[in-house]
Amino acid sequence: MIKFFLMVNKQGQTRLSRYYEHVEIHKRTMLEAEVIKNCLSRSKEQCSFIEYKDFKLVYRQYAALFIVVGINETENEMAVYELIHNFVEVLDRYFSRVISSNGARSGESTNVPSHSEQGWTKY
Amino acid sequence: MSDVVERTLSALPGLLGQQDPGSGPGGGPGRVSATSRLGGLIRSITALSSKHEEEKLIQQEQTNLKATVSAPTTTLRLMKECMVRLIYCEMLGYESSFGYIHAIKLAQQGNLLEKRVGYLAVSLFLHENHELLLLLVNTVVKDLQSTNLVEVCMALTVVSQIFPREMIPAVLPLIEDKLQHSKEIIRRKAVQALYKFYLIAPNQVQHIHDKFRKALCDRDVGVMAASLHIYLQMIKKNASGYKDLTESFVTILKQVVGGKLPIDFNYHSVPAPWLQIQLLRILGLLGKDDPRTSELMYDVLDESLRRAEINHNITYAILFECVQTIYTICPKSDLLEKAAKCIGKFVRSPKINLKYLGLKALTYVIQQDPNLALQHQMTIIECLDHPDPIIKRETLELLYRITNGQNVTVIVQKMLDYLRQSKEEYTIINLTGKIAELAEKYPFLLLKI
Repeated sequence: MIKFFLMVNKQGQTRLSRYYEHVEIHKRTMLEAEVIKNCLSRSKEQCSFIEYKDFKLVYRQYAALFIVVGINETENEMAVYELIHNFVEVLDRYFSRVISSNGARSGESTNVPSHSEQGWTKY
Repeated sequence: MSDVVERTLSALPGLLGQQDPGSGPGGGPGRVSATSRLGGLIRSITALSSKHEEEKLIQQEQTNLKATVSAPTTTLRLMKECMVRLIYCEMLGYESSFGYIHAIKLAQQGNLLEKRVGYLAVSLFLHENHELLLLLVNTVVKDLQSTNLVEVCMALTVVSQIFPREMIPAVLPLIEDKLQHSKEIIRRKAVQALYKFYLIAPNQVQHIHDKFRKALCDRDVGVMAASLHIYLQMIKKNASGYKDLTESFVTILKQVVGGKLPIDFNYHSVPAPWLQIQLLRILGLLGKDDPRTSELMYDVLDESLRRAEINHNITYAILFECVQTIYTICPKSDLLEKAAKCIGKFVRSPKINLKYLGLKALTYVIQQDPNLALQHQMTIIECLDHPDPIIKRETLELLYRITNGQNVTVIVQKMLDYLRQSKEEYTIINLTGKIAELAEKYPFLLLKI
């Protein structure tokens, strides 16, 4: 199960956060800060799956941006790793040509609880 | 890839500014460009260097927003724009509870665009036990009965994200109706909403299990994929009740692996990988401890193993899942052989993520097939001294499972070494627990350490 999905930059500023379980607001900032600290302390040769508290983090770095997903033990880490990449590809498709239709088709093939983000990026 | 993302993200503020170019003739107080305010806010936050400045700026922004949302003359359009900024403030960690009730009102009263933002805000602000959530139910019921399909979709989406448990009976018949709707997107969203209901109140959806079967055989892939979530949960609870569906799942997986799905479902030329993974999990649960059911799966597992030979991360993910499934069910020996070869490839791979997967797979299968550990002894020993602490940890986990009288001393010594340099609380607790267990099992350890 995916617990949260974060996009954080290297300076620790949260660009996007989506929690799929209820986490108190002040706890969120702490979580995000710790998570990004964990990710920044890893080198390129180390694997992208970190054990954090009692769940796991899967992270992927794109230039100065880290995309981090928190998962529990039922998830396949590599599948989530590629899901992150799929998400980025969809973003890229969606933004480089601004289409007005609502159906991001490539999103339909994923089977995770991130329901269609109703235009979070349209603003 | 990364520079594309950078360009995308830096283009974002510009894009925001473009969407509402002229405010039209006149342009009174309510006609500010909706998107540029958020863009401006994001830009100013990014430009700041300290947390303290960010706090000041956001607090000022929040005071403005509070005044605007509480003013009776605020138009819904302006409210929508404020809501977006409120969402952003909350995301940065500044609570904006004054805006929650207005989000609900926006979803209730607004036109399509405003309703969409209202629903989005509600799904982000509120949580399951929030007292304001009950106010949403009326709006949802109204929208579910609307003739406008977009409104129905929005209502179904918000139900599948957040809904008060006590009010499920109020909307359940409406959603059941939608399962037979002619539009596949509505059927799919109805299935997702029912999945949410199953998660929060399983006994309330017991009577519609045969409707789920219809969703499983739906001609639209999206609806079928959505029903798999529900089936995975139900099969986890009680596998024997669903053995008759094994054939259906095998057929679906065969079709996916054989490339019968529309090409849109391909990810880097692999057909619907996450769907394959989901199906493999379901098959694993169904075939466990049941030779007859397992027999039905041999072909399709063989096929999946064969097709996933392309060297891409996602095929490795599928292979991992295949291997896990093979070792969970009662397989035949040549499948086991192929799976063991696969694990060997992972563990010996120079790519660190694959090594991790290999170790994880080994840990899973080791009790069934201890020879495998012997085969890869050298690699495991190398991993023990790997520079990456996560790999070390995973190796220790693996070794814990194959302790016997001879190697336990060495293994516990390695665990203690790891403990000394680890700072993570949960890891320490976990490892200490394991060492204590081993000490109980092999009392002579206490003398040797």
